[in-house]
Amino acid sequence: MMQVPGEFPIIKEDNVTHSFCGLACVGWMYQKIKDSFFLILGTHTCAHFLQNALGMMIFAKPRFGIALIEEGDLAKQEPTLEEIIAEIKADHNPSVIFLLSSCTPEVMKVDFKGLAHHLSTQDVPVLFVPASGLVYNFTQAEDSVLHALVPYCPEAPAGQKNVVFLGSVNDATADDLRAEAEALGIPVGGFLPESRFDRMPAIGPDTVLAPIQPYLSRVAVKLERERGARTLHSLFPFGPDGTRAFWEDLACEFGITVDLRDREQAAWEKIRKQTELLRDKKVFLTADTMMELPLARFLKSAGADVVECSSAYINKKFLGRELAALDGVRVVEQPNFHRQLEDVERIQPDLIVTSLMTANPFAGHGFVVKWSMEFMLVPIHSWSGVISLANLFVSPLMRRSKLPAFDKEVWLEGVMPSAE
Amino acid sequence: MRLAFWLYEGTALHGISRITNSMKGVHTVYHAPQGDDYITATYSMLERTPDFPGLSISVVRGRDLAQGVSRLPGTLQQVAHHYNPDLTVIAPSCSTALLQEDLYQLAAHSGVPEEKLLVYALNPFRVSENEAADGLLVELVKRFAVAQEKTAIPSVNLIGFTSLGFHLRANLTSLRRMLQTLGISVNVVAPWGAGIEDLRKLPAAWLNIAPYREIGATAAGYLGETFGMPAIYEAPIGVEPTLAWLRSVIEKINVVGAERGVPPLGMPKLNAFSLDGMSAPSGVPWFARTADMESFSNKRAFVFGDATHTVSIVKFLRDELGMQIIGAGTYMHRHADAVRKELEGYLPGPLMVTDKFQDVSKVIEEEMPDLVCGTQMERHSCRKLDVPCMVVCPPTHIENHLLGYYPFFGFDGADVIADRVYLSCKLGLEKHLIDFFGDAGLEYEDETAPSEGAPQASNCHDSDSAGSSAVSSPVQAATEADGMSWTDEAENMLKKVPFFVRKKVRKNTENFAREQGSLSVTAEVFRQAKESLGG
Repeated sequence: MMQVPGEFPIIKEDNVTHSFCGLACVGWMYQKIKDSFFLILGTHTCAHFLQNALGMMIFAKPRFGIALIEEGDLAKQEPTLEEIIAEIKADHNPSVIFLLSSCTPEVMKVDFKGLAHHLSTQDVPVLFVPASGLVYNFTQAEDSVLHALVPYCPEAPAGQKNVVFLGSVNDATADDLRAEAEALGIPVGGFLPESRFDRMPAIGPDTVLAPIQPYLSRVAVKLERERGARTLHSLFPFGPDGTRAFWEDLACEFGITVDLRDREQAAWEKIRKQTELLRDKKVFLTADTMMELPLARFLKSAGADVVECSSAYINKKFLGRELAALDGVRVVEQPNFHRQLEDVERIQPDLIVTSLMTANPFAGHGFVVKWSMEFMLVPIHSWSGVISLANLFVSPLMRRSKLPAFDKEVWLEGVMPSAE
Repeated sequence: MRLAFWLYEGTALHGISRITNSMKGVHTVYHAPQGDDYITATYSMLERTPDFPGLSISVVRGRDLAQGVSRLPGTLQQVAHHYNPDLTVIAPSCSTALLQEDLYQLAAHSGVPEEKLLVYALNPFRVSENEAADGLLVELVKRFAVAQEKTAIPSVNLIGFTSLGFHLRANLTSLRRMLQTLGISVNVVAPWGAGIEDLRKLPAAWLNIAPYREIGATAAGYLGETFGMPAIYEAPIGVEPTLAWLRSVIEKINVVGAERGVPPLGMPKLNAFSLDGMSAPSGVPWFARTADMESFSNKRAFVFGDATHTVSIVKFLRDELGMQIIGAGTYMHRHADAVRKELEGYLPGPLMVTDKFQDVSKVIEEEMPDLVCGTQMERHSCRKLDVPCMVVCPPTHIENHLLGYYPFFGFDGADVIADRVYLSCKLGLEKHLIDFFGDAGLEYEDETAPSEGAPQASNCHDSDSAGSSAVSSPVQAATEADGMSWTDEAENMLKKVPFFVRKKVRKNTENFAREQGSLSVTAEVFRQAKESLGG
């Protein structure tokens, strides 16, 4: 364990966590960009992961697939994907194919950039997306996808001042954000990503990038560097506190002064019942989706006692405002799960926000849990998301209080395979 | 290299962890990148484990590779410190297998006593789920089983019952009930619920029962060779196979008993096997003779799955329910020859052997069977085609991990399977009525829109569980792609066909039209097709 220097102290451990790799992003990205295909160059493991962990088998004809590296392919110089690309084009007719890396070809040192370039045509570009679990956790590969899309965002001329929101959200949430910005007098350039490949937003020196997901620091930096765009550094638009700061700060970028104090107050009022329940509740967030910091900040503002907020990766500049707002909370980067398990037993939190791997076992140990992944699949952004956000935290607490008493000795007998 | 979507068998690591997650005091450390941790979720979500599965990842990061650092010794120390398992199995992943590290040396480096470690360094590119699980079980049995006195009373080992096995708990219960009725005790169940001490005492049993061809049969073979233990490999699926299985158990136990001077066991009155102890043990034999089932006799079934269930279900459908088998297949290449041999005389054509679900889907689409017995993949293919499907083996969906007692083994299992066949198929008499009189007011079901939901957190809900609601768009799309057009009049005639066979009629009519060299379906073509196809 070590202290990371900086204005706000972060503890850094050895990253023994339970979480997914970057390939998980395929689960929502292929649905967001509707004319895309996501091709993973990977092994049986990657295929088995996508099939099992995300429950994505509900789709009969998914717009993603795995170019399967089998034993015979290991000896080959470079993978030949021409036939697979032709098959994808014939079956799905995509406007763009994202070629995702994974661990095994990274170890094999496949030249992905060259490969993607070689497979690209004028009509259907093939874009390399680094997603390997050797480097990227869970949501971080969305950053890589957006990174790959940058060349397909037209150059906005100087003087074209507007906001481009960074991060994939569903269309309803995007409409909400757009309407809210326009109501405040902020001109909207669009979203990166838009839901179609040929409609990516123009970005230039007078674009203000407003990140709406907390795991997209690399694409923001790239756009600052290559296009001269500015990135909004504010809170993320989650909860009344974050939403107010986000819109006030964004308006400020456009020389507009707004005071959203009343709006924030009204939003808190709407979730008074929920915050009353959350007050002084001890909440523990294990590292998973990289949404942990803004979620913990909302909980803190709502009066909860955040006993630990951990995240697989914390970009101190990109998340600077969130870290400042979390001052006094124990923040851990790359945590060690074994240690967390012992701390949880000692601290006995009232609520644990945790991964799919660990949720049921924590519940089996008597704790109230919430799947961290749900925060990615429910619209929790801005004013319209406030109630959903609060309810996500409150519903497991309410539900547990309504269930009858539970005697572990009786009702868990023989349930664990190794317990029989 | 090929384009893959869904796979029937999981990875070697999945096979290894299925064994270790079944066991007491055994931990797996997998030397792998972060993403391989999804394996943990398959247990904590599908099996809803109330404790942390004994699985720890020794994370490999890009930076470690660049610096030539391996975290494996450290992870082994952490696991020993936090969980103190009796045994830790060390497994490589696809990525780390390429690094050609010496796992034995790294393990020794940890300082954890050698007798508490087992390096299972198979090639994950060559070995998949079932072979890895079967192989690891053999390794464990070889390492721990010791020669010893037999138990005083007749006893058996139940081998191959494994975490995430199909209807595993219920099957175990069904077998235990039958054995209890026979007066035979269970010495060890392995790996499910077994600890290292249990593995040691495996040779104390009189007989091994290893009903799964995929996992456990090799271990039973080893115990036979090494300790002279007899074994039964048949799966008691269906009434007749269950009776044969019971007779075989009694016979083999009595051979051992005779050597030991123990009086022989006899077959009890069959009602002793029923749930209330005073009825027929299964409803299937009578059910199969009823007029109700007689109307099922022209129903055509297709079966696809692992080796054990494909064999048993084909036999059950044909021998006990009197259905027609139009084809069968398996994804277990390793056992294809055995399946072929078992099903000699049952199949109208060759056994299908493939691990590509698209190939299976294509056969189903061509044949449009009245019933498909398959895996989770066939369930999806069939849903798209509105073909009745029941899942009879892995890979499964969370929907197949239910709380109730639904065994496939034994007399109880025969009833469960027959019920599912009955509920899955379109009914017999009702179908005649609807065929004859039209839609019977059921038309609305065809209007149900397909639902495409957001990705759900790990299998938690299946958002297209609207069930067999007919999805009309894919068919139309397919029609357009084929370039086969329908006149309005022909479409209207098609609408008068009962909704649940409409797709089949559409397809058959189009095939007919194509054979006639016609590019469109007119009322006349439709009538001709009806005449010539007997629809």
